Amino acid sequence: MSTLALALPTPGLVSADVLRLRKRRGLVLVVSLLTIGAIVISNTIIELLHLSNSAAHGPAGGVTMLGHQAFTIAALGAVAAAIVGATAGSGDLDAGVYRDLVVTGRSRLALYASRIPAGLLFLVPFVASAYALEAGVSVVFAGFHPLPSTYVLTVTGLWVLLKVVFYYLLAVGIACLVGSRSYTIGALLAWTLAVTPILASIAALGKVRELVPGVALDSLMPAALGGSARQGPVIAMSAAAVAAVLVVWAVAALAAGAVRDTTRDA
Amino acid sequence: MSDSTNTQLPPVSPFVVETDGLSKNFGERRVIKGVDLRVPRGVAFGYLGPNGAGKTTLIRTLLGLISPTAGSMRLFGLPVPARRAEALARVGAIVEEPLFHGHLTGHENLMIVAAARGAATSRRIGDVLDRVGLTVRADDRVKTYSLGMRQRLGIARCLLADPELLILDEPMNGLDPAGIQEFRGFVRDFVAEGRTIVLSSHLLDEVEKTCDHVAIVDNGAIVMQGSIEELRNAGGFGVLIEVDQSARGRALLSAHPSVERVLDDGASLRVSLRDSRAVSELNRVLVEAGLSVNRLEPAHASLEQRFLEVTTRLENAA
Repeated sequence: MSTLALALPTPGLVSADVLRLRKRRGLVLVVSLLTIGAIVISNTIIELLHLSNSAAHGPAGGVTMLGHQAFTIAALGAVAAAIVGATAGSGDLDAGVYRDLVVTGRSRLALYASRIPAGLLFLVPFVASAYALEAGVSVVFAGFHPLPSTYVLTVTGLWVLLKVVFYYLLAVGIACLVGSRSYTIGALLAWTLAVTPILASIAALGKVRELVPGVALDSLMPAALGGSARQGPVIAMSAAAVAAVLVVWAVAALAAGAVRDTTRDA
Repeated sequence: MSDSTNTQLPPVSPFVVETDGLSKNFGERRVIKGVDLRVPRGVAFGYLGPNGAGKTTLIRTLLGLISPTAGSMRLFGLPVPARRAEALARVGAIVEEPLFHGHLTGHENLMIVAAARGAATSRRIGDVLDRVGLTVRADDRVKTYSLGMRQRLGIARCLLADPELLILDEPMNGLDPAGIQEFRGFVRDFVAEGRTIVLSSHLLDEVEKTCDHVAIVDNGAIVMQGSIEELRNAGGFGVLIEVDQSARGRALLSAHPSVERVLDDGASLRVSLRDSRAVSELNRVLVEAGLSVNRLEPAHASLEQRFLEVTTRLENAA
């Protein structure tokens, strides 16, 4: 068997990593609330307000509301991604069982690599379900608001998924690098919720802001949403520039995590 | 690495573990000092030393958890780390205390290790749980297990590999007397199957009761290794002598040129001899001095005595 083959995660390893995540009741609860729960609760409130006073409150559906809710799913999904990524990346170390996996003789790179698909298999269904729910609400409860087109629904969904997947990859790499779940979650939340909006709003930074992944991700937001899903200023970037920024960040984080994980004292 | 490299037959070696000049430094601190270890096949091998002697560090190095600073090592004749995966596929190990994912059941924890070992291993989960007597609790979360149950689950995790070599780090820590008794039985059964166990311990008495070969380690270096019998006898021949006037007897014996050392344990005199043929001569000296010799028999030094002698010698040399 080649070195590359030994380094690849087997379906069994990925399944084992998924098992570790889905059996954490607290994690399942938090991720459910941050994704499906947030959409159910916010849409229920909006629709109840609309039913009670339709003159003051619009319906829960329509393209504008899709934009608002897509922002909600993406923002809270990024938080969920940080939590899941940090748990997947450092769970074995935190539990003290990493060494027991290493002494099986299995390649450390394979043990590391299996966490990437495993976490996504756990996380993406929650995010996809939340978005599917929102897509349905945006059409069924549109009322007098314009309906989102199939294209807008599809592109918005892909944008939400891209944002969540990106922050998940970042979290896995950083968690393996620092070897701590809590530090990783704290650092990523600070970065996404505080540092990114501040950097994006400093006009004096000019093009340098394009190097911030949150800025690059927001520039991909579907134009049809009319800025409703945007937190900071509009910074136009080419698709190639966005791809380059995201790939460099993700690869750097994952590579740093891989190097640390394969060389650390277990 | 090519397929042909991986499938080369290992050289036949009488030893399952061999290290040559193995050293490990943590910064300026040298924790393992040029260890040349030889563990024969099919024995229970004790790696015996006081706390902080470098026992766990050696085990972690052998298992590839940390890299050595210098020296070489082989498991089943396979060079490690070059052919680490092949070698470790035949090894089960517990390093320090056995730890698990507390939110998973015992069965699920074994599933995770089985996934790392390969698909075929998962078929053994039921058998190993049965062997360690955890079948009934297999579907309970590990965080509800007692320390003894965790130790047993740790053994079950090792057995998943159907290992030829089991490496256990301080396995008797936290076990009650019944658990220790049970563990000794497990070691005997395992070795009877032709497999090898290496266990590290600071409990001299336990190693003596459980193992048939031992290496005594002190301050990162092996000071003696061999079978328990060899180590006991390495200090020369000894006799126990019981006389009616122990103080006079001790003085007479200490003055004799064939006597290396006399220890008075209160009940009898423990005499180390340079020449085993001097026993009758000592008896004559004592009787002619008017002492009554009530008992005279060969003395079997315990491993503990040998350990203390060796470490004392080192301290004196230092």
